[in-house]
Amino acid sequence: MRGVRLEVRDLSKFFGGLSAVSHLDLDIFDSEILGVIGPNGAGKTTLFNVISGFYSPSRGKVVFDGHDITGLKAHQVAQAGISRTFQISNLFMSLSALSNVFTCHHMSYRTGMWKRFLHTSSAIEEEERLRQSALEILEFMGLDDLKNEPAGKLTHGQQKALSICMALATNPKLLLLDEPVTGMNPAEIQTILNLISRIRSRGMTIAIVEHNMQAVMNLCDRIIVLNHGQKIAEGLHKEIIENQEVIEAYLGKEEEE
Amino acid sequence: MMLRTGLISLGVAAFWGIGAYASTALVLKAELSFWFALPAAAIITGMLAWAIGYLVVRNPGFGFLILTSIIGMLIGLVFGNIKWLGGFTGIEYIPSPDPFVIPFWGLIPFTSKIPYYFLMLALFLVVVLSFWALYNSSTGRAWMAIGLNPHLAESIGVNVFKYRIIAFILASAAAGLEGSFYAHYIGSINPNAFNIFKTINVHIYAILGGTGSAFLGPIIGSLIMTFAPESLRIAKEIEPILTGALLILLMIFLPGGILGIFDLRQHIWKPFAGNARIPQWIKKLLLSAE
Repeated sequence: MRGVRLEVRDLSKFFGGLSAVSHLDLDIFDSEILGVIGPNGAGKTTLFNVISGFYSPSRGKVVFDGHDITGLKAHQVAQAGISRTFQISNLFMSLSALSNVFTCHHMSYRTGMWKRFLHTSSAIEEEERLRQSALEILEFMGLDDLKNEPAGKLTHGQQKALSICMALATNPKLLLLDEPVTGMNPAEIQTILNLISRIRSRGMTIAIVEHNMQAVMNLCDRIIVLNHGQKIAEGLHKEIIENQEVIEAYLGKEEEE
Repeated sequence: MMLRTGLISLGVAAFWGIGAYASTALVLKAELSFWFALPAAAIITGMLAWAIGYLVVRNPGFGFLILTSIIGMLIGLVFGNIKWLGGFTGIEYIPSPDPFVIPFWGLIPFTSKIPYYFLMLALFLVVVLSFWALYNSSTGRAWMAIGLNPHLAESIGVNVFKYRIIAFILASAAAGLEGSFYAHYIGSINPNAFNIFKTINVHIYAILGGTGSAFLGPIIGSLIMTFAPESLRIAKEIEPILTGALLILLMIFLPGGILGIFDLRQHIWKPFAGNARIPQWIKKLLLSAE
């Protein structure tokens, strides 16, 4: 049995009287790609927002690597090792692609505050090293030709890839990707999917929220289906497509009238 | 500086006033030397900003604007109602700095304006160099990240609240330092000098010069705002009107400030000259963003 990276137990999130996520149990195992799917408004993004600390849960528990991270602030969750991308491209639009990734190395500084303030040689060396590693991440994702372009001028697909670069720059143990291929053309989708599998082959644990069924089916090891904030199915993709409840959630119930 | 973290503080003049009063009190009431009071004023202001910052920085956006402007408006009343600090008439006859001995040079008495000029220049350099060092370190990049996109900054592990407090403290401490200098230079202080319009002027300097650059923007802005009204003196009565009109025109036609001209030029040139760009070294000087 592989180790569990993230445990979600009895998680609920209410907005007023509306429950976006209710009584959800979920495990993410080490080095797997977990797909989270479901119709619009099923609570997928809310789930990510709760895990990553942007919302605090109404009840329930989130345990990451044996540490209870329930209710921590977003930056503390990031420091614990969970990194996420956003549904809409969320970048530092006016900065170059390289600066975007470089800025995300915020948690990687090891030299002391005063050394960094006084720009001692060790601090300068460290900056150089981090800039180099930002460049390596861009190369890994195939964006190194665009390193000096402002992020706002990149295409939609490149921006999505850049946001994955930025998430990687924080050295996460768990990567949450919110709709990484939505709104892309098939060629771009294939590129991103290849990159995601390459990231996984380095041992990364990944969870993906995505609407593009084919992408999810090809990429993910395991799939969880949400509907009205509840888990209605879990398993390998074959089991999912044959699951009656899932078909009903997507296509509606057959009613005879 | 606060602009960098996406917050507009209307309380700058308040901290300037706190610095001025702190320094005056240390010199007149505690009979300490100016050379002790100057850094002490900055530290006292910074500590007060820390306490105040904990309350106000929690509400970014509009709340912060309102809270700091309330501080800006209250500060005059607070000082005015402290009899010990001279009430609303303020304090007069603040001693000038003690004479200062520079080795191998001699005694520097603060009798003419020249030593003040060099003292101001030195303080200016200290402040600018420290901020330059900060902007070009991880702290500056964290500030920039917050200013550009606070949500994203959080998700890459930047403690947004902490970095905003740090910016608030440092900006206030710098204002306190200048306040201390001001009190001993002018020789008198009164609560009305530190009203909110001073703060608004400071922001006009920064916005007029161009918010794209951390240093050159405010410097160019303040140069223009100091000299332009002077040169419009010919029509003294309508001088504020002219200045105001000039400002409005600038806002409309140059939303990026004076430094925005460079960007405009880039846009106009591009289609004609293909690769016409600002030389790299000017760019480096102008954009402390990187």
